[in-house]
Parts: sequence; C-alpha cells; structure tokens
Amino acid sequence: MQSREEAFMARVQSGEKVEVMDWMPDEYRNLLIKQIHMHGISEVMGAYPEREWVMKAPTIRRKLALNAKIQDEIGHGQMLLRLAEDLSQPYGRGREDLMDDVLDGRVKFHNVFHLEAPTWADAGVIGFLVDGGAIITQAMLLGSSYAPYGRMLKRIVAEESFHMQHGESVVLALAAGTPAQKAMLQGAIDRWWPAMMFFFGPREMGASSRRMLDYRIRTMTNEELRQKFINRYAPRIQALGVSIPDPALKQDPATGQWSYTDPDWDWFSYVVHHNAGPRSADRLGLRREAHDGLRWAREASLQAARHFAKEADHGISAGYAGL
Amino acid sequence: MEFPRDTPVYEVFAQREALSFPTHVGSVRASSPEMALQMAREAYFRREAAYDVWVVPESAITRAREYPEVLPVAPEEKTYRLPGGYDNAPLWKRFKAEAQTIEQVAEEMAAKKEGRS
Repeated sequence: MQSREEAFMARVQSGEKVEVMDWMPDEYRNLLIKQIHMHGISEVMGAYPEREWVMKAPTIRRKLALNAKIQDEIGHGQMLLRLAEDLSQPYGRGREDLMDDVLDGRVKFHNVFHLEAPTWADAGVIGFLVDGGAIITQAMLLGSSYAPYGRMLKRIVAEESFHMQHGESVVLALAAGTPAQKAMLQGAIDRWWPAMMFFFGPREMGASSRRMLDYRIRTMTNEELRQKFINRYAPRIQALGVSIPDPALKQDPATGQWSYTDPDWDWFSYVVHHNAGPRSADRLGLRREAHDGLRWAREASLQAARHFAKEADHGISAGYAGL
Repeated sequence: MEFPRDTPVYEVFAQREALSFPTHVGSVRASSPEMALQMAREAYFRREAAYDVWVVPESAITRAREYPEVLPVAPEEKTYRLPGGYDNAPLWKRFKAEAQTIEQVAEEMAAKKEGRS
C-alpha cells in the first residue's frame, strides 16, 4: 500500500498544488520554510546596499525610483515572511522569531547583499544583474507546487518589472555616457559578475535543493538557471561595450551551453554561512538598529491589539478607530 | 437581549484556480460559517466550479472607503515607479542589443518547465 508520503509526492509530481491547511510531510514543510524564509530575509537585506545610494543618487528622478524600489523590496519581504509564518505555526514561531533569526545568524541571505556597492554604477548593476538574476529564479518559482508561494510570486514578479527597467535604464545611461562613466560601469560589472555566477548555487546541487526539485517546490536546477542568466545577460553586457571578467566565457554553438570560470565557491560560501562579507556586519548592524529601535512600536501594537480584543469581548465595536 | 430578525451576513469570495486570487462575488445570510458555504454554493456556483470559496462575517470587514485618509489614491505622477516610465528600447537598439521585458522572461521559464514534464 502507498504511504501518505508517497501519495503526497505523486500528487505534487502530477502538477497538483498544495495549500497551507493541507496535510504535508514535515520534510516538505521544512524545505518550504527554509526556501521562503531565506527569500523573504534576502528581500529585506537587499534593501541595504541600495539604501546607501538614495542620498547620493544623481537626479531627483533616480532618487525617487531607487526609493520606490527599496519600498518594493521591503514589501516583498513582508509578503514572503507572512507565508513563512503560516508554515511555521506548528513550530510556534512567528514574525519576531523569523526576524531575530537573521540577526542571530540562523538564516542566510543572498551572497550579493554581503558585498560592497562603492559607485553609482554598482547601484545600477544591482538593478540590472542582481534583479535580473532574481527575476529568472522567481519566474521559475511561479510554477511551484506550493500555491500560496506561486500566487505571491505573481505579485512580486509584476513589481519587479519596474526594477528590471530601472536597472537597465541606469546602466544604459552610463554606457552611453562619458569615458569616466563607462569606466565606472566596467568596474561595477567586474565586481558583480563572479558574485552572479555564485548567486544560482553550485553546479552539483545539495541534497535539500534536489528534494525541492522532487517536490516541485522548484522546477529547474541551479545550472539551468545560471545558463538562462548568462544567455540573457552576457550578450547584452558585451553589446554595451563592456567586457565580462571571464576569459573562459564561451557559448558552445552546437549545444547552446555556456562555459564559464567557477566563482570562488569556498569564499562566497564562507561569506553567506558566517556573514563574513565586506559589508555583512555593517548591514546587519543597521538591521539590528531598526529591529531594536522599533521594538517599542511593536510592543505598543500588541497592547493596542489586546485592548481591541477586550472591547470586542464586551460587545463594543472593535472596528477601525481611525489614525 | 432582543432576538435578531435575520441570520448574519457573510461575504463570499471565490478562487477560480490554484494560482488565481480570491475575488468578492457577493454575500449570503446563514446561521453559521458552514451553512454560509452551503448557501454560497447554492447562490453563486450552480454552474461553474471553484478551486476554493471563502465566507467572511460581514462584521469582520473594515472598509477603507469609510476612512478616506487610508484609501490608496494616486494623485501625483508615479511613472518613475512603473516599467512604462522607462523607454530603454531605443538605447538597446543603439547598442545593437535586444530590449527585454519581464513577460518574456516569465514566458521563457514557463516554456522550459512544460518541456520537462
């Protein structure tokens, strides 16, 4: 007889979708929490490198756009954390715990957000390549077997459309600019290209990533995603008159596959596991400051929620009381 | 306490398929949430199937229209926040590269997925 776990696996592999209240194997739940928690926290931590450039953006329109993008990233973090919270309910873990995890090093965030963004071109290249890479991953996840994740990603991808155009717009302006601007762009591409090769994960996927494929939480391998990325971005970067810092980068005309130089897997891996990148400590410091600095507001909200609940118990209108 | 003359109102939301969002379709009166689901089935789903149906007590809903200060309105110009606010195509053309849209990326990724199964 087929076990409950086998029946579940057969269900998701036939393309059926799973909802939060459905029965699911612990392994499936834990993989989802790991994936969505990391995704949500990466959205939040992704706001920090760009935040550094809001004050220094070259025009008011660029400043508005960068600010709008940061608001989107924090919003995406909120939406994704809600999903991770719903899944974490059996473990009795809520928002406060999931946010504490990043400060205590219990959840990782994307390698790219540990790095320096020393020039305006870096702000543009983050929009161009980091958002570009994230969009490829997120478009793949639209087909996830976990329906709440798929639905949320629909909203997120729709908003990322502006991030993509904004990043390209900054990069195109620099590529069409003065020699100094072109040199600045070249410098940023040199810094971000190896990080983007790491971004999609090792060539041979780890055990949990392979299980995510089995469960259709994700639908493509790391290498398939990386190939999609190179295929989309390498020709565009080269067209801009910017060189890619990888002499081994070459497309096999027969298979269409790109060969590339391996990033420093050990170094990047150490960075994400130990928060040991050049900017990890500063950005986590800002996150801690925001988290601690606003604790009073979260506590006041809890008090207010208790007050409303008590009024509702006594039959007094528990409606919205205005701002 | 005076005995109410009518059963409570439940607002009905329906989700057509797994990846669509629940949409408000109307309301029903019923004695309990379970009965409200039965009533909703009779009133709104005599022909079409649904992936899921939600019933929510009307009293649990707070409407932003009653609090205009929180109603999202967009009086100022926000093109800087929209993909249409950026016309990158002519510059990509100048560099002899193709402009791309997020819809094309989503299509490519979905096509690949179907190819696998």
